[in-house]
Amino acid sequence: MCVCVCVCVCVCVCVCVCVRQSGVIYVCVCVCVCVCVCVSGKTELLYHLLCRCVLPVATGGLEVDVVFVDTDYSLDMLRLVNILESRLNTARSTSSPSDEAELRSCLSRLLVVHCSSSSQLLLTLHFLETSLSSRPGLALLLIDSISAFYWPDRCEGGASIAKQEEKLSKCTELLGRLLRDYRITVFATCHAIRRSYSGPPSSSSSSSSSSECDRPYLCRRWQRLVTHRLLCSRQEAANNMAATAGGSVEQRRRQVFTVNCTSSSSSSSSTTKKAYRSTSFYVTDGGVEFI
Amino acid sequence: MVVLRGGMCPGLDEDLVRGLRAVDIKTVEDLVSSDIEELAQKCSVSYKALFAIRRVLLAQHTAFPVSGADLYEELLSSTAILSTGNPSLDKVLDSGLYTGEITELSGGPGSGKSQVCFGVAVHIAYHLKQSVIFIDTTGGLTARRLLQMLQAETNNTEEQMEALQRIHIFRLFDVFSLLDCLYGLRSGRLQQASVGGGSVKAVILDSVSAVISPLLGGKQNDGMSLMIQVAGVLKTMAKDFNVAALVTNHVTRSGSGELQPGLGVSWSHIPRTRILLERVEEATAVSHSSLRSATLIKSSRQGGTTRLLRIHSQIQLGDTLWAWLSSSGSASVCVAEAAS
Repeated sequence: MCVCVCVCVCVCVCVCVCVRQSGVIYVCVCVCVCVCVCVSGKTELLYHLLCRCVLPVATGGLEVDVVFVDTDYSLDMLRLVNILESRLNTARSTSSPSDEAELRSCLSRLLVVHCSSSSQLLLTLHFLETSLSSRPGLALLLIDSISAFYWPDRCEGGASIAKQEEKLSKCTELLGRLLRDYRITVFATCHAIRRSYSGPPSSSSSSSSSSECDRPYLCRRWQRLVTHRLLCSRQEAANNMAATAGGSVEQRRRQVFTVNCTSSSSSSSSTTKKAYRSTSFYVTDGGVEFI
Repeated sequence: MVVLRGGMCPGLDEDLVRGLRAVDIKTVEDLVSSDIEELAQKCSVSYKALFAIRRVLLAQHTAFPVSGADLYEELLSSTAILSTGNPSLDKVLDSGLYTGEITELSGGPGSGKSQVCFGVAVHIAYHLKQSVIFIDTTGGLTARRLLQMLQAETNNTEEQMEALQRIHIFRLFDVFSLLDCLYGLRSGRLQQASVGGGSVKAVILDSVSAVISPLLGGKQNDGMSLMIQVAGVLKTMAKDFNVAALVTNHVTRSGSGELQPGLGVSWSHIPRTRILLERVEEATAVSHSSLRSATLIKSSRQGGTTRLLRIHSQIQLGDTLWAWLSSSGSASVCVAEAAS
């Protein structure tokens, strides 16, 4: 039974934003950036967050509005609806026919915007400012992904790095202002551009592979805005399955994803503290299941 | 980057544009990001007028948010699943190619990617009676082969000709003509191709790595930017016109010796579903093995714990015929062997 370490590394960066909701203050200023070489872990995490926010309180959600800024058409509505339905079904004790209505009300709390360039992203964020002021229930902004325009911007900027990073810097500045003024939570995903090469399969710790891949490459202003970084990595662990009656043993491999969260918060002292937490999850039909 | 021009919106005349340019406001983004009060003072224009112009420009150039419910309704009514013609491959793909998405087929030389593409084109043109756009960048497509495949389906020459007419072929060998072709398709030629033969349901690009990989590497960033541009226009075309985009890619070896699709990490995020095709060495010494294994490497749908993320399915490729009827339809679900 060999344990195969997948070389995919996802880095999520979370910056928590304060959310004030009906008198209760959740201290979370979140700009979460998930960086991923493979897709599964990061997108599933976003769906998990989305579902948590739009589901009704009775089924374990928060009933807040969410804006999903989709820069690379990676939002799979069918998968999202799958997860929502399975969560609604598990929460409901008796099967009631008002399935559709609940699903619709959950989906109506979600706003999806497609952006095709960083200038359009900037204009859209300006436009969203008006939505933010008119919809007080809007608490979460998901950007998937913030690095989609990295290469086009680099090419357009020519030789000067300042010009290359100009558009993203402006977006970041605007995001910072939105964070301060409207107290929202922002999660952003960031694709890895470099593949990490893990050592021989025997080394199964994800931290060894994270050093090369999680080096941030977006502009400095963005790095300063981010307060939490979630590094996701994927591990394949062979699960033993009992032999079936027919005698054929099916070896099931379950993809285990690990998330390491580094949160850097500047406290009153001059040094910035770095807290480090880690958790793992599986991807199931009903979404993400934490171990 | 939209440059401000006179007449873009009511109230924005040439004088105002010149005045704004004098204070370094040249594009719509600059105007939207700047402080309107300050600007009104500098250009000696009324605050109200400038604010109205800003609002109109913002509304013209921003992307509009759509409610999740509306998006889902639209998706339900417009998404179609196209069978590839090969039942085993369909099983790997979760019943076929989805419209509105990019599916990638990667494999080494002789692994059957082009044959699968031909088969998909023939299946859609003949069985589903819809049009297909086939962009050939390798020169491997011949009408004779398509005819051969059609002759396996039917003996009626009229039907064969009709099906062949539904397959529109573009031959190009560099990325700029590819972009030209894709932009042309997006801005109207797709609808033209739909006239008379059923709407276009699939755009097949064989292969994308042949035009992109010569540009990658080295110090220039143009290659990556062009790759992202190609991906962008393919995606918007797939989404806006409800077509399934199928692209093929080459393979490279990873650091640990495993086969992986080419074009690097930045491309790996672009296709929604990725399949790796490999030759299967058969025990019987057949000189021309027609068995291939298709492994699903990336999918947004196969998320269940009870399903294996890596599914092997044996596809039978006919030597000269697309004999999927006799294929080993049992999707033998073996676990992918990791580098052992």
